[in-house]
Amino acid sequence: MKILKKNQLDTLWERLARNAELYLPTQKGDQSGFFSYKTLKPEKDTLMLDALNVYLSPKNIVLPQTEMMYSFTHQGQEINLEEVYEDPTPRIIFGLRSCDVKSIDRLDTVFFTRGFVDEYYRSRRENTLLILNACYHPGPNCFCEAMGLSPRESESADIILHDAGEEGYIWVANTEKGRELTGNIEDILEEKEISYPQPRPFTREVDYTGVAEKLKDMFSHPIWHPLSDPCINCGICTYVCPNCYCFDIQVKTRGEEGYRYRCWDSCMYGEYTMMAGGHNPRETGMERFRNRFLHKLEFFTERYGEPLCTGCGRCIAVCPTGINIIEIMEKAKGVEPSA
Amino acid sequence: MKDMTDQVKEIATKLLESGQVDVFMAWEKGDAPHQSKPFFARNVADVEKIIFDEYCIHNLSTYLTRFRDGKEKIAIVVKGCDSRGVVRMLEDHQMKRDRLHIIGINCPGMKDPLEAMKQHSGFERETGEKGLAIKCLQCMQPNPVIYDESLGEIQEPHFKGERFTEVKALEAMSSEERYQFFSEVLSTCIRCYACRQVCVACNCRTCIFDEAKPQWVGRETSVGDNFMYHIVRAFHMAGRCIECGECERVCPVNIPLMLINRKLIKDVDHYFGPYDAGMAYVEGGKPPLSLYKIDDPDDFI
Amino acid sequence: MHKNSSENPLVPQIVEVVKIIDETPDVKTFYVRDESGVPFNVMPGQLAMVSMLPIGEGMFSVSWQEEQDHLEFAIKSVGLMTSEIHRIEVGQKLGVRGPYGNGFPVEKCKGKDMLFIGGGIGLAPLRSFIKYCFKHREDYGKIQIIYGSRSYADLCFKEELFELWPREKDSETFVTIDKPEEGWEGNVGFVPAYLEQLNPDPANKIAVICGPPIMIKFVLQSLEKMGYQDEQIITTLEMRMKCGIGKCGRCNIGSEYICLDGPVFDLAQLRQLPPEW
Repeated sequence: MKILKKNQLDTLWERLARNAELYLPTQKGDQSGFFSYKTLKPEKDTLMLDALNVYLSPKNIVLPQTEMMYSFTHQGQEINLEEVYEDPTPRIIFGLRSCDVKSIDRLDTVFFTRGFVDEYYRSRRENTLLILNACYHPGPNCFCEAMGLSPRESESADIILHDAGEEGYIWVANTEKGRELTGNIEDILEEKEISYPQPRPFTREVDYTGVAEKLKDMFSHPIWHPLSDPCINCGICTYVCPNCYCFDIQVKTRGEEGYRYRCWDSCMYGEYTMMAGGHNPRETGMERFRNRFLHKLEFFTERYGEPLCTGCGRCIAVCPTGINIIEIMEKAKGVEPSA
Repeated sequence: MKDMTDQVKEIATKLLESGQVDVFMAWEKGDAPHQSKPFFARNVADVEKIIFDEYCIHNLSTYLTRFRDGKEKIAIVVKGCDSRGVVRMLEDHQMKRDRLHIIGINCPGMKDPLEAMKQHSGFERETGEKGLAIKCLQCMQPNPVIYDESLGEIQEPHFKGERFTEVKALEAMSSEERYQFFSEVLSTCIRCYACRQVCVACNCRTCIFDEAKPQWVGRETSVGDNFMYHIVRAFHMAGRCIECGECERVCPVNIPLMLINRKLIKDVDHYFGPYDAGMAYVEGGKPPLSLYKIDDPDDFI
Repeated sequence: MHKNSSENPLVPQIVEVVKIIDETPDVKTFYVRDESGVPFNVMPGQLAMVSMLPIGEGMFSVSWQEEQDHLEFAIKSVGLMTSEIHRIEVGQKLGVRGPYGNGFPVEKCKGKDMLFIGGGIGLAPLRSFIKYCFKHREDYGKIQIIYGSRSYADLCFKEELFELWPREKDSETFVTIDKPEEGWEGNVGFVPAYLEQLNPDPANKIAVICGPPIMIKFVLQSLEKMGYQDEQIITTLEMRMKCGIGKCGRCNIGSEYICLDGPVFDLAQLRQLPPEW
């Protein structure tokens, strides 16, 4: 098997960054997320490869929080489209956890299927290579297996790393793109047989089985009121979620020039569904809260066959008022069917 | 604080049973041991869940906006800082005093469940047991300023030092340095609006940031739009921030929002004071910038 | 179908406004085209995103045209973008992208008698289907149109309502306004009440409804009372939309996206969805 010694990481990154924008899980000041290798300051920033994960998910790389769409000029009655900003820059995300790779899969499902291909997403995604850091130590809020994925395997990861401690990383090329990249850096890999690490068990038992079906009849159930009571309808959960993909389209104009951009939006905001005439189909916080969880646990499953949650536990860790998606699944399951 | 839980439960049972209140706003235990979360008991059976422990950090007065259009009688448990939030709601005419039954708890200081959750998330290097929340270490008013009944011993504020040290450091910067400083701290803003949502002073029915006609603030996460958001937010806090520190606590990217708020507190106090927002409820009372006086200073304009 | 060079469905194509008709005090119809005609063909009930590029985009029902030589949008001034578009003049360049959505089930309705029930600007999508039926007259049975608005001035498409449609064979057009006014000799009252009074027989009929949510709600109740089955009732829904291509998330009702799976649903389908419509 191929082994990447840990003292070769710097060499590897330096080589990868020559032909692609490389992102590493990093603690940068008060933020932890996937940051560009180019912007890293070794004396200030901390690599988070051995941490469970980082707070800001990698979705920003394939679906930027703010993304230019196109620019235009206008003068009098005339309008000219100037530039369409599709971005095919080669990118490599190094050290993703399985939950985050799977979430990119789900973004693929959204942006590539059902009639239309989102060209902005496609240009980024098709040029992004994913290097999975297999997960052997699930955290206290982890439940990826319950959401239908394996913490150590993935079909869409191009390369899978298994952290074997001092022996280094076991390097597995998992796709054609992964094998091609492996060929280019083979000289820094070693051939050696070592044993895979022993995974620790999940600390939290979660069972998604039947939840989508159960929720189908719970839209008007009174349980949504107490469940949503603590929610302040901020957008933190939706913005740290690696799966949440909703976006807004906005315009900036200055003088005769302007550009249209898209930016993440959140179903938690009242403005999200507010119609021009003033009618809002989801006026209350409870309705927005309900839509968020139903979207994740029921609607997305009905539409695409899998839930819009990969069990990363970020929303659980960062909710200012202690809302917990696991608890919501459990409470939904506990509701009497007739209610 | 088991004893405190029992006392709160007892009051809740009494108030809900007698029909004196329709809702009792307190806390329940969250999913993790180091987590408590806001909880609204609506009947006696709910009272069982109520707790009051060292993680009851949330300012419940913010949730009063949900009931502002109703007629329900509401009991609310408040700590010192939260009670100033209740005054904010009353002064802003978002709630009537006679709809409230206020249970004041003289607060020994709280731990931050959010900080604890993060600490145990596996996403951070664990640094051992955390003490009191930063906002509690900076607390000036641990004892409620408005209440119908109060619980616990009168507490001394944890904060003893010079209140505006950090503000003065900010003021001492050159304008270029200050611009640099704010560019750095505000560039990380992800515009999740948690600071607004959690704020008791942010009780506008339609927030200026949600206005579409016209749209006052762009939604780009750019330095320009982020500045606009935070400057406008700061304007609206002047003379109105009750220093509960919730905005800074919930910020997922740790923007020093209380530093900005304290600068405003200092200026309002200096120009229009002495003034501290929400320290006492006087019927008809208003924060200084909601009033006009002929001798208001204008030399800073 | 996209002529857009980048084939990017979120980038509009530029068209010119060639005609503007004042329908009512707050509704105008805009005809747009590019050098070669229409940037895309549409079917009745489909949507298109119209953009005043420096201002904003809005999703509108786009009118089906027999000639397919221009696109036509009837736009009511309600928000920022729509009030701006009411200020433009012929010659103005706009962006359009589409077509979006499923449109009306024109094939499935063949051989049926058609009952169109509209209120206010809701006549705009219905009008496409109505025109389509009249064009393919032999495919459809009797055509009845019930339409109402607040006042005479607020009635859209007056020429069609009072001149063209009444002349079509085997068809009836009924118009009502909310309150009596001088010079109006037609029916006065709300659409649901007028519908019950006219009491059209449900046999072999498809009812197509579009109007304000409150009108739809009461018309559904009336139709039910009159014996219409869920499968015989079709309506078009409205939600806030940004992308139009089923990605941006906001126009969902349950697991369906109005922009992609709708906007046209029959009542049987709607009853499967959460009651958010």
